Amino acid sequence: MTLWLLSLIIFFGAQILPGNVGRAILGPLADQAVVDNLNHELGTDRPLIEQYTDWLSGLFRGDMGDSLVYGRPVSSLLVDALGKSLKLAAVAFVIVVPLAILGGVIAALRRDTAVDRVITLGGLSLTVVPEFVTGIILILVFGLWLDVLPVSANAPPGSDPLTQLKYLILPALTLVILLFGYIARITRAGTIESLDSDYARTAFLKGLPRRTVVRRHVLRNSLLPTIAVIATQTGYLIGGLVVIETLFNYPGMGRLIFTAAQQKDFPLLEASVLVVGMVFLIATLLADIAYSLLNPRIRYAATE
Amino acid sequence: MDETQRRVDAIRAQRNEIENHVIDEYTAGRISRREFIRRGTVLGMSIPLVSFIAAACGGGGGTSAGTSPGQTTGGTANAGGTIRAGTSPPATKLNPLLVQDQGGLSVLSQSGEYLTFSDSKLNLQPVLAETFEPNDDASVWTFKLRQGVKFQDGTPFVANDVVGTFDRLSNPKTGGNALSALGGYLKPGGTQAVDDTTVAFHLEAPNGNFPYLVSSDNYNAIILPADFDPDTWEQSFMGTGPWKMTKYTPKEGVSYTKNPDYWSPNQPLADALEMKFFADEQAAVLAIQGGQTDVQLQFSVSGGQALLNDPNVTVIKTRSAAHRQVHMRTDMEPFTDKRVRQAMALVLDRQAIVDGLFDGLSDIGNDHPFAPVFPSTDTSVAQRELDVEQAKQLVADAGMSGGFSAKLETWKGFEIPDYAVLIQNAAKEIGGTIELSITDASTYYGDGTYGNSRWLDSVMGITEYGHRGVPNVFLDAPLKSTGTWNSAHFKNPTYDGLVDDYVSAVDLQSQKSTAGQIEQLLLDETPIIFSYFYYFLTATKSNVVGVEPSAMGHLNLRETGFVS
Repeated sequence: MTLWLLSLIIFFGAQILPGNVGRAILGPLADQAVVDNLNHELGTDRPLIEQYTDWLSGLFRGDMGDSLVYGRPVSSLLVDALGKSLKLAAVAFVIVVPLAILGGVIAALRRDTAVDRVITLGGLSLTVVPEFVTGIILILVFGLWLDVLPVSANAPPGSDPLTQLKYLILPALTLVILLFGYIARITRAGTIESLDSDYARTAFLKGLPRRTVVRRHVLRNSLLPTIAVIATQTGYLIGGLVVIETLFNYPGMGRLIFTAAQQKDFPLLEASVLVVGMVFLIATLLADIAYSLLNPRIRYAATE
Repeated sequence: MDETQRRVDAIRAQRNEIENHVIDEYTAGRISRREFIRRGTVLGMSIPLVSFIAAACGGGGGTSAGTSPGQTTGGTANAGGTIRAGTSPPATKLNPLLVQDQGGLSVLSQSGEYLTFSDSKLNLQPVLAETFEPNDDASVWTFKLRQGVKFQDGTPFVANDVVGTFDRLSNPKTGGNALSALGGYLKPGGTQAVDDTTVAFHLEAPNGNFPYLVSSDNYNAIILPADFDPDTWEQSFMGTGPWKMTKYTPKEGVSYTKNPDYWSPNQPLADALEMKFFADEQAAVLAIQGGQTDVQLQFSVSGGQALLNDPNVTVIKTRSAAHRQVHMRTDMEPFTDKRVRQAMALVLDRQAIVDGLFDGLSDIGNDHPFAPVFPSTDTSVAQRELDVEQAKQLVADAGMSGGFSAKLETWKGFEIPDYAVLIQNAAKEIGGTIELSITDASTYYGDGTYGNSRWLDSVMGITEYGHRGVPNVFLDAPLKSTGTWNSAHFKNPTYDGLVDDYVSAVDLQSQKSTAGQIEQLLLDETPIIFSYFYYFLTATKSNVVGVEPSAMGHLNLRETGFVS
């Protein structure tokens, strides 16, 4: 239902943009008659409702159609881009999630000390720096000046996974810098709230060692908001990295959606947005499952 | 000496009237040696022959011989290795008929080849055609084709393939991009095979520059098999070229290996080629600096300043006819009075603009499309200089001393927004209030038809024009009364007549004298401001040699290799 609404919004939203596909393919200088002809061949001159239902019925048969501009199946373009986006997101997540949670917990435990201020203020300052600034600084330092890491994210064809990983480090680091402050801050807030709660106080009063309290009682509860935040970032990581993908010349989903919207390549645009929507839904679902694992109360509520 | 003269006479006896006319002009000193060589090659004389006559007849004022195969980087290259070249991603599916962007054409011409290659000095280098010559009024051009060439699927290349290719390109029903060049001169059926290795182009109207229209300048004109369906090109990357596609990933790049059956022995020099697509200039510049590419086809001064100062990078500067046109609607206020248009052109400090926007890497324009790079340009027409006082006087004479205002529409690309601001500031000196409206490209171009396009309807606008080997398109579409891109809505029968004269003129002397009249007329009318023709900049790593770009956006890597 959500995805269907999304597809409707994208479809009719895209119609507001100026230009048309035939013009995008043939260029501003082509004869209008030839453009009309091409639009007719592509079927983009039909009524919107007809185009939409046609596409929808194709989708139910598992056929996402052909890209109007690239003249090849949408699925092949999507698989390439999605694979790239998932790889980058995975590398970024693997680095940022443990780091940010650790940072957040430490900041909470050392509340109002210098360590706390460095983590919260530092993280927050880095978060507000736009990604193209951090990206360029990282490229200049590690790519050009120290010359230890590649500046483009796309490994040469046929590279082994380790080489691919090396190519992904700089863009992933850019994301880490962007996300660290945000996730750490939420973790810190959650941890502090749990530390101040009645059950934590009871546990301390019971005489349990601090470490056990944190691990068994505090973390479980404090991570709930963190998980929600991470899940909401997934959509951005998969479909919203236009700037980073551009800077590191990495043809992922962000740029695929961006150019499809520019060129009014409707089948490609719809399918890519839907895929990102799906990734988002799956991430939310996984977050819900993680929630219930960490917090039995939710599980009980569901079965009642 | 007698022997030399005898040989010259023997040669001249075999040449046709037009060719002898060029030789006469050269001996009379009316054209330079360099122009003679260029002109001679356009007419189909081979370079050794032209050079021989040039040396024997010794006229002309030019000094450089101009026989080198374009501007390339020097040094001796080793064979082998993989060249990694950066270009922009092709905007659409790769159909040779429809490709209309630099990314697309730079890919087309790796596995595909033209009859001739228009090099950086606008000399036509033989590729699939070995020689060509016109009839007496340049209405029929006969091309002799190279023998022993094979397409990449093994079928031999013959005259019928040229016929098939140009019948497709010149067919209005295909909507091909080449129509803008061939329209009015070549129709389907006009290309005829005389025998397997000879093709005759029968033109609708005489054209002294016709060989350019079937050269690499008309970048869609890669020669494909006679019955080839260009819509399937992406599957095979068909052609006779030095590189054979092994893998194509849209938006990412193309991998090639050397074509083992290539007609020129020992070429290409390298074993493999990786064309990598960069959607963003900054990423491309960083990639060559960071050692992930060896060549970057094009970069701009504003985006690639770092490359100009990098000791590990060699920059190839190719003069070009690429420019921006600032149109002023001659049928709308405040520009109906030509004095206001002249005043706008007079307040621009062109040297400062060129220094500011291009670090000086640009020729200065004189408000007509005859770029200094074109040999037919009449350079004796005085350059329009900055003159604020005269501009103020002109505005006062036009009755607008109280000030005037106009909206300048353009799009956000290249240096155009900066240029718009410079124009806006300059106009203030003569009481002009210019309001800027800068959108994205598709909003600016709209449908590309009158009434549906800011480009064609705005009272004032800035439009980018790419390089062309001859000024014909620039003279026609944006300026002729019937022109389809006439943003200035300029309608002047005298001008139209002069352009017709220019196009049908076969010998350089009459082209040049007509050019002079056109330049004077446009300077006076000033429907469009042409203030610069910027250079085409290509970057290579300093260990890479033999790279030959064209100002059009081709990248000839046949002789490219690494020095140890």
